[in-house]
Amino acid sequence: MATLVEKGASGAATWVDDRLGSSNFIKRSLNKVFPDHWSFMLGEIALYSFIVLLLSGTYLTLFFEGSSREVIYNGAYTPLKGIPMSAAYESTLRISFEVRGGLFMRQIHHWAALLFMAAIVVHLMRVFFTGAFRKPRELNWLIGVGLLVLGIVEGFAGYSLPDDLLSGTGLRIAYSIALSVPVLGTWVSFLVFGGEYPGGSIIERLYPIHILLVPGIILALITFHMMLIWYQKHTQFAGPGRTENNVVGSKIYPAYAAKAGGFFFLVFAVMAALGGLAQINPIWLYGPYDPSQVSAGSQPDWYVGFLDGSTRLMPNWELRTLGHTFSPNVLIPTQVLPGVLFGLLALYPFIEAKLTGDRAYHNLLDRPRDKPVRTGLGVMSITFYLILLVAGGNDIIASIFHLSINEITYTLRAALFIVPPLAYLATKRLCISLQQADVHLLHHGVESGTIRRLPSGEFVEETVPLPSQYSVLLATTPERKELIAHAHTEDSEPKAVAAKPRGFFRPRGGVVEPPPDHKELERTVD
Amino acid sequence: MSDSIRDRLKPAEDTPEVHHAEHPAGDPVVSTHHAYHPDLRNDPKRAKRAEIAVSALFLLAVVGVIGFVVTYIAAPFNFGTANYQTFTPLLGIFMTLALTGIGSGAVLWAKTLMVDEETVQERHHLASDPKDRAETVEILKEGFEESGLPRRSLLRNSILLGAGSLAVLPVPLLFGLGRFQHKEAVLSKTGWKAGSRLLDELGRPVKLGDLEVGGVKSVFPDVPGGRRMADSAALLIRMLPEDLHTSPSRKDWVQEGHIVYSVICTHLGCPVKLYEQQTHHLFCPCHQSTFDAANEAKVLFGPAARNLPQLAISVDADGYFVAQGDFTEPVGPSFWERKPSYSDKVGA
Repeated sequence: MATLVEKGASGAATWVDDRLGSSNFIKRSLNKVFPDHWSFMLGEIALYSFIVLLLSGTYLTLFFEGSSREVIYNGAYTPLKGIPMSAAYESTLRISFEVRGGLFMRQIHHWAALLFMAAIVVHLMRVFFTGAFRKPRELNWLIGVGLLVLGIVEGFAGYSLPDDLLSGTGLRIAYSIALSVPVLGTWVSFLVFGGEYPGGSIIERLYPIHILLVPGIILALITFHMMLIWYQKHTQFAGPGRTENNVVGSKIYPAYAAKAGGFFFLVFAVMAALGGLAQINPIWLYGPYDPSQVSAGSQPDWYVGFLDGSTRLMPNWELRTLGHTFSPNVLIPTQVLPGVLFGLLALYPFIEAKLTGDRAYHNLLDRPRDKPVRTGLGVMSITFYLILLVAGGNDIIASIFHLSINEITYTLRAALFIVPPLAYLATKRLCISLQQADVHLLHHGVESGTIRRLPSGEFVEETVPLPSQYSVLLATTPERKELIAHAHTEDSEPKAVAAKPRGFFRPRGGVVEPPPDHKELERTVD
Repeated sequence: MSDSIRDRLKPAEDTPEVHHAEHPAGDPVVSTHHAYHPDLRNDPKRAKRAEIAVSALFLLAVVGVIGFVVTYIAAPFNFGTANYQTFTPLLGIFMTLALTGIGSGAVLWAKTLMVDEETVQERHHLASDPKDRAETVEILKEGFEESGLPRRSLLRNSILLGAGSLAVLPVPLLFGLGRFQHKEAVLSKTGWKAGSRLLDELGRPVKLGDLEVGGVKSVFPDVPGGRRMADSAALLIRMLPEDLHTSPSRKDWVQEGHIVYSVICTHLGCPVKLYEQQTHHLFCPCHQSTFDAANEAKVLFGPAARNLPQLAISVDADGYFVAQGDFTEPVGPSFWERKPSYSDKVGA
């Protein structure tokens, strides 16, 4: 049996190799070394979610009808019988109530979309805070930012398709945002929607965009993203034996591949569990879209929430002059703000390189604490984003906590400008403290738990030098490497190694503590 | 230092020791292989146990698949039948079981039975050899010269113009996406006409006296398809006549404390229909713009910049409400061609 399989496999391999000469490439690929770290699996979650999206989405296209043609409902869901609705909404009801497993697939698809975006965002944070975007990986950073934006567009198109009350409201807002563009606004919105809202064409147009155009581009970009990771080799954290010029990890085949493959099924399992057990987007409760209706507490999917928040916080500035109306109250929060945010995000690697003058190759990742300014900027941005996200739910907060929505809005408006800079300062300070803690560990070693009493009556706790495999992890700067080199020789005074803080950033209690004088200690004990 | 950090710093007993060559001021070098997990090749007993555990997980997948298929075929599914709501959760549970079995089996297999050692691989230098770079530039230059483009300016200019003109091709196609319309005229018009009755959601005309003080009613123009017109939805509100403050020019737009506003928010077009009886506030659930229904729907709060347009109404001979005409300004969100004079008229 085994020999038969072997014979078959080798026969097939020979057949392919005779024609493609693929062995050389396959050999190198199987022997490829991939560094191991839990945070490297975040991007994998995004990739696997996308695969689940393709699978579940393809199944849904077999039943969905992307059409705004009006029909009178006569399906299985009795509460809506006789109600006029679009064919899109009717087919979504059919998927939910008449296709066996259809609701399950719909819910998996929706959950996978939420997870896809979440994984992208968390992966982005990992790449940002560890400096993985630095030379030579700026291109992959740009592709990643492109994927983030396309993911938002794809998600918005997807949840607009069922044409229920909630998604129709979202589309009307999108139309109104397009309308606000100076000079071109009416043209853009009329051409996209096919006329004055609702225009009658948007579902028909969003459908191919959602199932073909955008996923096709995303698939191509993901492929390119992975090819670049493969070709440039993955970054790694500092550690024993790890340098800028090598990769330390496990070979792709077989253990790593088995783990990654297993991880795909586990991610898929999480989505299956959510799709089966956690109801999402119950469109039959919202009802079909009716331009004169809206439900209170309307919320978009989470990844659009920050734009909803910025729109809610914006003061009502409008300019009416020279025969035209200009609407900063719409333009700034929905177009200028995301343009600036995503623009800065995309350009960040180049901005940082310009400001630091760092043009070197970087294959070793930073520890966030070693780059207080970058980490501070990252936390500042996250804080800014979170305030917008919270603002997107200001009505929910108001009703849950019985607060005035006006006061919440005013508070968040102020917080948007005050809290992020504070978050920057606090993070920077924290990073410097953590650096000092590292230096302290390198200087003094680890507390041993052994208390010794000195002849003077003083109690001191003995420390043991940090085990070398851990001190290596802390050796992230040339100064620290030097410190480690001197740590066990005891013959010279190591130089100060943490960033030299000024003002507020000065460590509490003065300067970095000098290392304990072991020799003097021993003399006293003797 | 907390206990957890101290524990972490203590080398775990299973962890193979990593030795570093003493390498002053440089990068320490690994001198031994570092296995990610105990090697079971020489421990047949533990290996067998691991094999059984992995196989059990793989077989769990079969159980999940059987459950999934049985549920799919046999479980109640049709809306309204007994327990139909358990169908989707059961599918989810069995599929999760199947996928978890395969997934965790594969991971456990890799973590116990496969050899997984730390390996070092050198990175290749990404930038090309300067010589190769120079040669590439040279080839490109030569080809460019050979093509004749740098010398033949007529050819160069005509190809630029010719190829560039192709960019125009999609433009008419793009404009085909919509009809040629006078945008301002389209956006300024709704379904309301002089004499058009105010119909409620079920299409019944609304009469003076149908509404109590403090009551509201969604109203639509009495034209074909008026109920579904996205720009024509309006709200009829009745309040005490003394609560209602209108400018002199709009004195005749209201009828005995009845007033009608467009419900299309002047911010982003959501229907503004949440009416607060005591304060006469109209609230938009999308972005919380708040309008004062007692004062020509003036903006009190939120990102909306303009009042909700008001529809002038009167009462016909049979006592039914009718519109005096269309709105006197475009309803809904702002757009570039919207004339500022619309708003000047009402002093917004």
